[in-house]
Amino acid sequence: MNKLSVDWWSVILAFVATALVLTGAMPHIPW
Amino acid sequence: MNPAVTQTTPQVAAAQGGFFRMIPGILLLAIIGYAGKVTEQSISAYGKAHHTALPNIEYVLWAILFGLVISNTVGIPALFRPGVDTYEFWLKIGIVFQGVRFLLGDVLKLGSASLVFVAIELGVSIALMTWLGRKFGLKPKLTSLLAIGSSICGVSAIIAAKGAIDAEDEDASYAIAAILALGAFSLFAFPAIGHALGMGDKAFGMWAGLAVDNTAEATAAGALFSDAAGKFAVLAKTTRNATIGFVVLGYAIYWAKQSQAKHIANKGAFLWQKFPKFVLGFLVISLVATLGAFTKAQMTDVANLSRWAFLLTFAGVGLRTDLREMRKQGLRPFVVGAVGEFAIAGLTLALVLTAGPWLGF
Repeated sequence: MNKLSVDWWSVILAFVATALVLTGAMPHIPW
Repeated sequence: MNPAVTQTTPQVAAAQGGFFRMIPGILLLAIIGYAGKVTEQSISAYGKAHHTALPNIEYVLWAILFGLVISNTVGIPALFRPGVDTYEFWLKIGIVFQGVRFLLGDVLKLGSASLVFVAIELGVSIALMTWLGRKFGLKPKLTSLLAIGSSICGVSAIIAAKGAIDAEDEDASYAIAAILALGAFSLFAFPAIGHALGMGDKAFGMWAGLAVDNTAEATAAGALFSDAAGKFAVLAKTTRNATIGFVVLGYAIYWAKQSQAKHIANKGAFLWQKFPKFVLGFLVISLVATLGAFTKAQMTDVANLSRWAFLLTFAGVGLRTDLREMRKQGLRPFVVGAVGEFAIAGLTLALVLTAGPWLGF
């Protein structure tokens, strides 16, 4: 966490969550 | 000193005691944001049940108001601060997710149109702020910070520039206080003006993205107008954010020439270091969406993830706005900021309204 900037962490986390949605591993997200 | 300058970044918080220190504040953001959403839904349900037309006040405004009330009455206890400071992190994640709502072709078309607007806005606001700063007798570096903050993206630009031009903490506090106070004002004023002028979603979103300084406030102002306007505000603001490195580099070179800041040896590395990486994330998600990788349901899921991330951000906007602290900073930088901002808001509104119809909004 210390070596990467907050910017990069936000991109990584968003990509991981998107990959989970794409693979169907994440349940449907309601709003 | 303004706590906005001394605020703990998530990285610092992590170094000081790990991820767990951030949990109470993140929970607070989630509770306040969710309370905003529940309030909007409850009012709407009450209106429907009693067949009364109640004004539809968006969850965005409720979340900000609840945050404002807490920070300006009881204040934010130290336990919650590291987590509350993560609100910009959620903003960036939300922006990356927003990529799913744009086809890459639209990003390039609207992005290049907004880039032309951004270039005009940058030139005018830097020139205007510099002139106003001199007229009001502000310190030159404070003027530089105000110009950078009002032309690009508020607080993060000021913090990036502070190190690059060796400005004093006090100057950064002044500039941040002025930008935040004006951002809070814009949140309420912009949607009201947009509705009064009968603006469309695209035009309003572009205007908010071009004229409201801080990314969180620009996103919130757009979302307060409508969901679609929020989407375009994010696009215009992201284009503006992408220019941060060039403007800060320009100022760093200027102050280095005056022998009042360090010389920058590797300009390419400097530009890359200052470039907001979430813009790349936004483009990648938009590319994946353009290639047709998402089903309609998956696109809705990613767009909803963005809404949840923004929910935490909007709660943070309210919690972070300390009106008492702003009052302490004095009037002059605020007046310079306000005069400049009104002029920039007017100019960008004229740009959007005149050029907009040719560009399809």
